[in-house]
Amino acid sequence: MKRGAPAGSSEKGKPGADGGPGAAAPSLDVVQRWFQEVITHPGGASQGIASAEAQRFIPLGRGELERMVRRSRRLTATERLSIYAHAYYARLLECLGECFPVLARALGEEVFDSLAFEYLQRYPSRSYTLDRLGESFARFLEETRPDRDGDADSAEEPATPAWPDFLIDLALLEWTIARVFDGPGVERQPLLGPDDVRTLGAQGFAAARLAPVVCLRLLAFRYPVNSYYTAARRAGPGDEPPLPGPGAEYVALCRSDFVVRRYPLERAQYVLLKTIESGASVGDALAAAAQESELGDEELAAALGDWFRTWAAAGFFQSVA
Amino acid sequence: MKPPRLGHDNLGLGVGLRSVHFDHILRHQPEVDWFEVISENFVDSGGRPRYVLQQIAERYPVVMHGVSLSIGSTDPLDLAYLGKLKRLASEVKARWVSDHLCWTGVLGRNSHDLLPVPFTEQSLRHIVARLRIVQDVLERPFVLENPSSYVTFEHSTMSEWEFVCRLAEEADCGLLLDVNNVYVSSFNHDMDPEEFIRSLPHERIVQFHLAGHSNYVTHLIDTHDDHVIDPVWRLYRQAHQATGGASTLLEWDAKIPPFPVVHAEVLKARRFMDRHLPDVPAAAAADENGDEEAAARAAAGVESMAAGGPGPPLPHPLHHVRPEVA
Repeated sequence: MKRGAPAGSSEKGKPGADGGPGAAAPSLDVVQRWFQEVITHPGGASQGIASAEAQRFIPLGRGELERMVRRSRRLTATERLSIYAHAYYARLLECLGECFPVLARALGEEVFDSLAFEYLQRYPSRSYTLDRLGESFARFLEETRPDRDGDADSAEEPATPAWPDFLIDLALLEWTIARVFDGPGVERQPLLGPDDVRTLGAQGFAAARLAPVVCLRLLAFRYPVNSYYTAARRAGPGDEPPLPGPGAEYVALCRSDFVVRRYPLERAQYVLLKTIESGASVGDALAAAAQESELGDEELAAALGDWFRTWAAAGFFQSVA
Repeated sequence: MKPPRLGHDNLGLGVGLRSVHFDHILRHQPEVDWFEVISENFVDSGGRPRYVLQQIAERYPVVMHGVSLSIGSTDPLDLAYLGKLKRLASEVKARWVSDHLCWTGVLGRNSHDLLPVPFTEQSLRHIVARLRIVQDVLERPFVLENPSSYVTFEHSTMSEWEFVCRLAEEADCGLLLDVNNVYVSSFNHDMDPEEFIRSLPHERIVQFHLAGHSNYVTHLIDTHDDHVIDPVWRLYRQAHQATGGASTLLEWDAKIPPFPVVHAEVLKARRFMDRHLPDVPAAAAADENGDEEAAARAAAGVESMAAGGPGPPLPHPLHHVRPEVA
């Protein structure tokens, strides 16, 4: 096209001109469905154009793309469409890498991108925000774990934790951190402090139902992914921490001053907090936790004061319900 | 006769707010005329991004700029998203709300890219109707930006600027003239960028965008990852003279330098308000702009991309806020 000419000015009267005699121009919805199929095809734009899905909307034979897309002075129509096709996956892979930076390091870029590429095909974004792009990633890893044969719904859980559990747990940790970071919080709100806990007295404390803050998350893992997360963040580039073996780990995530903070928990502490979170009284929660604790009754009773003071200072509880 | 900028204020020289600069801005309170924020980074935030924005909005004028309105899509408008935009705009007293002349997905999907629309009568009717709804819902000035694009459609029946003119008139909305996008799209589609700017309804231009891009010789990509190049500054001078001036905003979205560098870049705009660059037409400069480095990038990027391998840097937009965790 002559430089400087309006993009459409030399095309008037051509078959397909919108609204013209014998108009054969595809409607906007058809163009958009076709375009989306082409640029999101995992094989790239050329394969996308030839795919059954795209051909269903706009059938184009070999060499017919210029019926739809103009070439420029320097690029063919296919090369131009390839810019969008490349950008689609590259952008979203980059974003997933930012959502799961420690998982991406653990897997290595090539393996992570391969998984993420498959994920994007199974769970394409349906949200206006990139913040939700990774919300089904842990689920995807579960559905596609290689040690699970056949139908994901009917297969049984492996008896002992296996390598995919590490990946799933790490994905869950990173996703939850992101949600806590930008979700609702309690900054600038009055919380239940250590002194408030102390003033309840023994009987009042046992009967109390503590309301956890909205930004508290209690997580149980099959691999020590919180420890791995810490080690990976401390490690310099190229100095990857060793991948851990299986082992249960428990962690509480909570946000204060807009920073997500991680609190490692013993199993008894996890059960205690989980039971409180379910709405039970502290007394009932203590009974549940005692069954899980390796501490004797007296040792447990002595430890409880420290636990609750620490958790109250960390801002785990909004109020006494 | 419409007043310049449709009567909206000229806010001066502003900077796009990015999370890597939060601490610097809060600590140093730089003398920036105004900030533009990416709407999607804040509409759902209950954490630090929203808190920082509230503080900034108390001190600086704020404009909201979105990437997900998808005004050109044949999917229904996302009224829940619009409602969130409206609430945030009210909270931060946004002077206006903007988004792009594009679509981002269809059949419920979101590509998170600014996809091109065919410039046809059907597209025009469709988008005008939706722009009216958006303005009615937002009850706040809405301003539409020309995006960078990489393809044009064979069945388009008018030029981009003709489409933009009619759209703005028929929907009665303002325009955000992205000068860099004019340059990028004009290069990619063999158009004359000066004619593009000359042909727009200047009184409807409420805001300018400036940014850097990447040159691959065969095409330009709107990467927002570098300084503004001289041919784009020349177009800015042309646009400034044509409009009498409008709020000017620098976008820097990848390889983001420290805040003072970004701020200094937008302050360069002052030079082009009252001093002339050598009169090299921007279109000619675009042809001359391909250097050896760009040629090497082109060879590596386009061929690799066509073969399904790694391609060149990404076109804007990519906006993801990294969590802060202890």
